Amino acid sequence: MHRLNTHELWRTLKWCAFGALGVVLLTFLAYRLHLSFATASFCSLLLLVLQSLSGDFASSVVVSVLAVGCLDYFFVEPLFSLEINSRLDILGLASFLITGLVITKLVIKLRDQTALSRLHHQMMQRLYALAQQLLALDPDPKGGTQFLEPFCGTLGIRAVCLFDAAGAEVHLAGAATDGLEKRTGEAFIHGKDREDQESGFSTRCIRIAGRTIGAIGFVGLEDPGLTAGPLAALAAAHLERTRSFVHASRAAAAAQTESYRSAILDALAHEFKTPLSTILTAAGALGEASCLGPQQRELAETVESEAARLGRLTSRLIRTARLEREEVRPWIELIDVSSVLADTVDQYTRNSAKQSISIVKDCASSEVLGDPELVRLAVSQLLDNACKYSMPGSPVTLRISRENDQIAIRVLSRGNPIPPSEKSKIFDRFYRGMDGLRVGPGSGLGLFVARKIALALGGGLELDGELGGSDETIFRLVLPVPESEPEA
Amino acid sequence: VKRLAQPCSVLVVDDEPALRKTILASLAATGFTVEEAGTGSEAISAVRRRPFDLVLMDVNMPGMTGVEACRQIRAFAPRTGIIMVTVRDAEDDKVQALEAGADDYVTKPFRLRELVARLGAVFRRTHADIAAARGILQAGDLKMDLDRGLIWKAGEQIHLSPKEFDLLSFFMRNQGVPLTHVKLLRGTWGPEYGDELEYLRTYVRMLRKKIETDPARPQYIQTEPWVGYRFRNPSEPDQPVSLAEDE
Repeated sequence: MHRLNTHELWRTLKWCAFGALGVVLLTFLAYRLHLSFATASFCSLLLLVLQSLSGDFASSVVVSVLAVGCLDYFFVEPLFSLEINSRLDILGLASFLITGLVITKLVIKLRDQTALSRLHHQMMQRLYALAQQLLALDPDPKGGTQFLEPFCGTLGIRAVCLFDAAGAEVHLAGAATDGLEKRTGEAFIHGKDREDQESGFSTRCIRIAGRTIGAIGFVGLEDPGLTAGPLAALAAAHLERTRSFVHASRAAAAAQTESYRSAILDALAHEFKTPLSTILTAAGALGEASCLGPQQRELAETVESEAARLGRLTSRLIRTARLEREEVRPWIELIDVSSVLADTVDQYTRNSAKQSISIVKDCASSEVLGDPELVRLAVSQLLDNACKYSMPGSPVTLRISRENDQIAIRVLSRGNPIPPSEKSKIFDRFYRGMDGLRVGPGSGLGLFVARKIALALGGGLELDGELGGSDETIFRLVLPVPESEPEA
Repeated sequence: VKRLAQPCSVLVVDDEPALRKTILASLAATGFTVEEAGTGSEAISAVRRRPFDLVLMDVNMPGMTGVEACRQIRAFAPRTGIIMVTVRDAEDDKVQALEAGADDYVTKPFRLRELVARLGAVFRRTHADIAAARGILQAGDLKMDLDRGLIWKAGEQIHLSPKEFDLLSFFMRNQGVPLTHVKLLRGTWGPEYGDELEYLRTYVRMLRKKIETDPARPQYIQTEPWVGYRFRNPSEPDQPVSLAEDE
């Protein structure tokens, strides 16, 4: 500050000296040429205007006062004295002084404004160049500091620091500067833009749609009041662009995974079933062969029935996986739930050594509108879970009852109850409960698909909390009952 | 496995050698005369060389698809029974195969006895030519007099509306084979129909109420999901009930 003032003082003194010299010369010439007071005044005024084109206001004031003194001394009666007798002369000199000062002030103001607008234009050009450089950069999904490099050197920036709130990451570029990192972090925490002229730091919060997503700090920025804001906006735009890019890449990757998955599923559907058909046909033919004894025949039958079971399991897995990603297309017809489910329960009874599974029907008619295959699939998922998660040897019951215009199918089992924290999540896609670790492999799709089926059939599936005891888990699947038949 | 009374020749078309050989050996052991083809075009030339009673063909083959081969064979061999092999969850394949002229389909993985039953049913139907018969139709305890427009169930007359009668007679003339929705609608309502699924469902529901002992567990009119319906004659045991595959 001090040095700056001395420099300005010298400049003012220099202009004062030039101006004074000009006034002295003009006065000498005017005196020798015997010019009148009015002519001399105009010439002096001209000199003042010329002086104000390059000098500052203070020197103009000094030169104006000197000019008034010279005019008074050499051109106003009594000559060679600073005294003034006539009121008209006082008015003339005062007018000269005021006119001179006003013209000087206006010229200097105009000059300053021109200089400022030139500076703005330069800044705009540099910001524009910076924006172009940033746009030319490929978004870096890793969020690197590469994009900070173009900032350095622009508008005198010596160092720049970016605080990215999303990952709480700090990125630096430019000359090493103590305290920049800390100040940038603080700017984000306090949510305030700051200027420190003495140390040359300026910090700005980065905002997108009214939300603060980080902060940026500069060292050595020229005219921070004017340029820091636009620079922060450029940084915000770049950050947002990088984020959109990352988001789009993830979505593309997810879509690709999905298409791989469906390709694998379709391949499985065909690839598994052909060898299974071969085994089934061969085992069937073997069983028919006349040369077999009863034991060998039984073995051939076992191969056939187990291969058939493997086929059913494969079908079910593929179907479940398909239903997970596709819309359920039900084939709605009038079905009797208890007879549709009787086979399913039979199969579970045969294949489950640990549990006894029974079916209880509490209503006269259990006719519903539904897709028999989908109903079987949904109930199979519930029975699977009941067998997996219940206590060995405990009974699993499938209870069918009528509730208003719905048929409710409840699957009751005893075992570790579902923890309250998991109750809201068990129907989520790919969710597997804590108990899942104990019971072995699973896809986390069963309940998700079962509920999807129930909803597609116009019913619902939920955990029935009202009836269950402490160790009893009940799932309640409801399906709509047909409206009373209109007469044909 | 029930053996056929008459000799029956089968062309087995599949690109998977293991499955083809196994089916050949098993069908030969069951009394069929068998030949094989590895592709659709091989199958077409084989049928051109000599007539077969039946063609058993995989839908999914490299090169010419089974459906296309079926369409071409059907064009020059109208009396050959064609059974397509499909996989589950490929209902479109089934409908396409039936529309291309196939008589029936089996779904992988299948058991030998299911396969033989389907082959036998198609063989009998193509030979007996039920469709050509006029007069009296019978299935289980249902008896229909086409000329007089009357129908009895276990000797007792039942009353059907004219459309119901048309639909049931169409079913009974095509016993044991899958009928697509389009075929049923056009056969009963007329050639300009085809998309009116609701009509069909309503009439099937009403028919079941009148002819089935337990409409929720139909014995006669079986649903083939996404394809259509199949009329089953309960007194012919080798016409399989829609084979439930799911556990």
